[in-house]
Amino acid sequence: MSKPNVYPFAAMVGQEDMKEALILNVINPGLSGVLVRGEKGTGKSTAARALAEILPLIPVVSGCPFNLDPTESGGDLCGQCTIAGCGFKSPGPNGPVLERRPVRVVELPVGATEDRVVGSIDLERALKEGEKHFEPGILAAAHRAILYVDEVNLLEDHVVDVLLDSAAMGVNTVEREGVSFSHPARFTLVGTMNPEEGELRPQLLDRFGLCVLVAGIRESGARVEVMERRLAHETDPEGFARQWEQASREIAQRIIQAKELLPRVMASREMMLAIARQCLEVGTDGHRGDIISLKTAKTLAAWQGRDQVDPAQVSRALELVLPHRVRRKPFEEVSHEQARFRAANAT
Amino acid sequence: MIVQRANQATPALVSSPPRAARSGVFPFAAILGQEEMKLALLLNAIDPGVGGVLVRGEKGTAKSTTVRALAALLPEVRTVHGCQLACDPDDPAQLCAQCRSRLARDRVLAVQSRQAPVVELPLNATEDMVLGGLDFDRAVKTGQRGFMPGLLARAHRGFLYVDEVNLLDDHLVDVILDAAASGRNRLEREGVSFSHPARFVLVGTMNPEEGELRPQLLDRFGLCVEVSGLADPEMRLRLMELREAFDQDPDSFQAQRREEAQGLALRLALARQRLGQVRLAPHHRGFISALCLENNVAGHRADLVIERAARALAAYEGRPEVASEDISRVAAMALRHRRRDPVPPPPPPEEPEPPRESEPSEEPEPPREPEQPPDPEQDQDGQNARDEQDPEEGFELPLPEPPEPESEAGDQGQALEQVFAAGPTFKVRGFSQAKDRKLRRGSGRRSATRTAQKLGRYVKSSLYGDPSDLALDATLRAAAPHQRRRRGSNRLAVAVQTQDLRLKVREKRVGNFLLFVVDASGSMGAQARMAATKGAILSLLLDAYQKRDKVAMVCFRGREASLALPPTSSIELAAKLLQELPVGGRTPLSAGLAQAHEQLRIHLRKAPESRPIVLLLSDGRANAGLHGETPPHQEALTLAAKLGDDQRVRFVVVDTEASGVVRLDLARRLAAAMGADYFRIDDLKAQDLVDIARKDNL
Repeated sequence: MSKPNVYPFAAMVGQEDMKEALILNVINPGLSGVLVRGEKGTGKSTAARALAEILPLIPVVSGCPFNLDPTESGGDLCGQCTIAGCGFKSPGPNGPVLERRPVRVVELPVGATEDRVVGSIDLERALKEGEKHFEPGILAAAHRAILYVDEVNLLEDHVVDVLLDSAAMGVNTVEREGVSFSHPARFTLVGTMNPEEGELRPQLLDRFGLCVLVAGIRESGARVEVMERRLAHETDPEGFARQWEQASREIAQRIIQAKELLPRVMASREMMLAIARQCLEVGTDGHRGDIISLKTAKTLAAWQGRDQVDPAQVSRALELVLPHRVRRKPFEEVSHEQARFRAANAT
Repeated sequence: MIVQRANQATPALVSSPPRAARSGVFPFAAILGQEEMKLALLLNAIDPGVGGVLVRGEKGTAKSTTVRALAALLPEVRTVHGCQLACDPDDPAQLCAQCRSRLARDRVLAVQSRQAPVVELPLNATEDMVLGGLDFDRAVKTGQRGFMPGLLARAHRGFLYVDEVNLLDDHLVDVILDAAASGRNRLEREGVSFSHPARFVLVGTMNPEEGELRPQLLDRFGLCVEVSGLADPEMRLRLMELREAFDQDPDSFQAQRREEAQGLALRLALARQRLGQVRLAPHHRGFISALCLENNVAGHRADLVIERAARALAAYEGRPEVASEDISRVAAMALRHRRRDPVPPPPPPEEPEPPRESEPSEEPEPPREPEQPPDPEQDQDGQNARDEQDPEEGFELPLPEPPEPESEAGDQGQALEQVFAAGPTFKVRGFSQAKDRKLRRGSGRRSATRTAQKLGRYVKSSLYGDPSDLALDATLRAAAPHQRRRRGSNRLAVAVQTQDLRLKVREKRVGNFLLFVVDASGSMGAQARMAATKGAILSLLLDAYQKRDKVAMVCFRGREASLALPPTSSIELAAKLLQELPVGGRTPLSAGLAQAHEQLRIHLRKAPESRPIVLLLSDGRANAGLHGETPPHQEALTLAAKLGDDQRVRFVVVDTEASGVVRLDLARRLAAAMGADYFRIDDLKAQDLVDIARKDNL
């Protein structure tokens, strides 16, 4: 499945925080994404792109441009398909045709225009048939997928606005160019940014479930390892990929198991209270922090093969969820918080 | 002929609100806390005349969730069967043309009941979709110009919901305001002339972090509620549980609460029926107007809103008469966004100053009676022109001697540097460059501009513009009425000719280039002025962040001015630098101005179409000149006047001179010479709406 040029996920050296956060998001899309903050050349983009090969399969309606799930509740989704004219106009006697394919990684280029992001009028059909139809945009492709934005802090402001708009409720509503349409768009937002280039808007920041900081590795042995692997990958991408295939497959397998376990993971009252207290104490805005922390703790438990959330998982979850949500003084940096959390948790 | 089912004429894309999304909506009854917000929404559901709700609050407080959940509770409305515009059969005067002719023909109108719509206005909406426009399909097929309803028509008799309303483009805001005020949508465009009733409840949510709403729009919302997170850990825990349960299985979660939801819907329907009979005693009306007076609200909308909301509340509670507690419960919501500062309080003798690191003895200012307290009239309306000359203008002030630090150590060098922490920050009043017709590149959200890139928001179409940026929809609509005549010329369904071509007009806000010119001389160290000044700059930077400006900073002290911060978009960097900025030494104002000029020159060469804003923060006490000959302050005034000649630049002078003592008002003269807007630090605060501003102080 993996394209030959993609660096294998399993072959990444270090950056455990980032890898963990990404995997947690793959297991539970409800975590609503991860923001990777860090300096240049720390494997941010590589990791996000490499995700593709460890992603699990999902059922989709065959040929549906909106990646709809046939088993999803409220079976009127097909009505939407008809509207979009995806060819799935009359469901057969056995319902829609199913297909299983891996979760996609959809990339949102920084220069994307708003009409490409939300979708717009289908030019060809308008001219040929004289009918107005909706042409799905990136948000449609990103439904049930990972929406990856490199340098998310450089995104055009109005594109961020529409992104926020649909991220909020998981529905993309389009009212433009004579087209009025709406379709589900629930995506896992993965963004990378270099804080030196400017901060993210608080509202967008809040949409990222988790936030991790990456920095260059300080240990020389590991640095050498990075160079060696990179070189091996560049000289023989296919051979390198083959070498890591087994490791990647193991991760993918573990993800599937965690996914199955997740609904059965329980969190005790004490654990939840601990989360609520901590969120209150650091003063997060609103309740998204609590909700995501709980989900993260559960997902962590599932990833570690447990069906009960333990205190270690809670504090780890808080470490990933809270740093970018703490009400900061104007212009205080996110990294300060992360350091503080580490210190607090260590004691 | 009258089309029987209007919807068949416009097939395909006029989809009703997404049913699929509906099924995933968190039930209203299961939302914990946020009682005020829920009440405000319910009151509007009972009586649309209450005039809408604005929900302000931090992120993640169920703002959007609650509004969307409301849709399921709304009582049904009676409409003319098959009417595209949801005409009210019980109000013959307001019928649309179709219904009127149908009534004339059939004598009776078929009636249907349907759920009141909650129409969402997405931020990406274009103007024609909001207002409605030419019915394309009909035009192609029949060559007739018909009307295709827009969002405003769909929201008629229901709710129009704008998430993140403060991010909505100004032109859309205007259009919506216009319709909301008149209750009708009038359309004159693309050869279509049409008007239809559009009475809707406007509901907006916003996060004040992303910038404020225009006061005019603010006032349009009947009620305003503030939401914040729950403070009780037990409640938060309960909330997490509910959310988890919902996420795991939305359907059964909703099923469990169906009864509760039905009960609430029934209560709403009953309240609606009862509404007409609710009485309001005359003395209560007196109470309402007293409340409004007390809070200095502008206009009379608040009185009306309180009365209607109080009636709705009484109806909801099942009482036949409005009680005074009803009024007090709703008054807070109606007054919050309308309250104004009464008469500005007299300036406190000394500002409550943050860390006092400087010796107060440095500048022995004899406590004289404040002979010129700020004129209340003038302060009340911050926009008042301040260029009127003040009484002190008459006598020529002796130049202030080189102030404090020298007196202490006689050295004007670096030895005497102090670093002050920044004072408290506040919400800054808005200022921007005026919009013109120039096309620019860039991004941000301070000043509105037409944009040359293909990146701005598509606001409307025009015959002129970038030929590669075709507005397909408008082009097709322009071509549509001619199709019957042109048919057969090629194999495409729609024959488009050159004269039909319409091009997109895009608009966006661009950040400005803000050049801070900061006086860091010794005189700024006295009276912790620098702390206040830093607070002001920090506030301006915060504002600059929200508007995505580019900032640069020139500091002057001692003998020279330097570019402390080269142009950058990283406001963090600027803030950090500001924290560490030391003060001390003489005041080379001229050098500062010269440096500012240099920076402007460089910037304008790179971006000739840009409109920079220069913010000079100083007390204007120049005491070190560039050349020995002219007195420093004279030199500064001359330079300032020269600088002010450049029409492309907007200048703002922020006077940092402490208030209350005898004011030298040198900065004011400087501002006059420069043609700049003059503010004192306190004037910078956006104080029109007290409560909101105060809340934003972090």
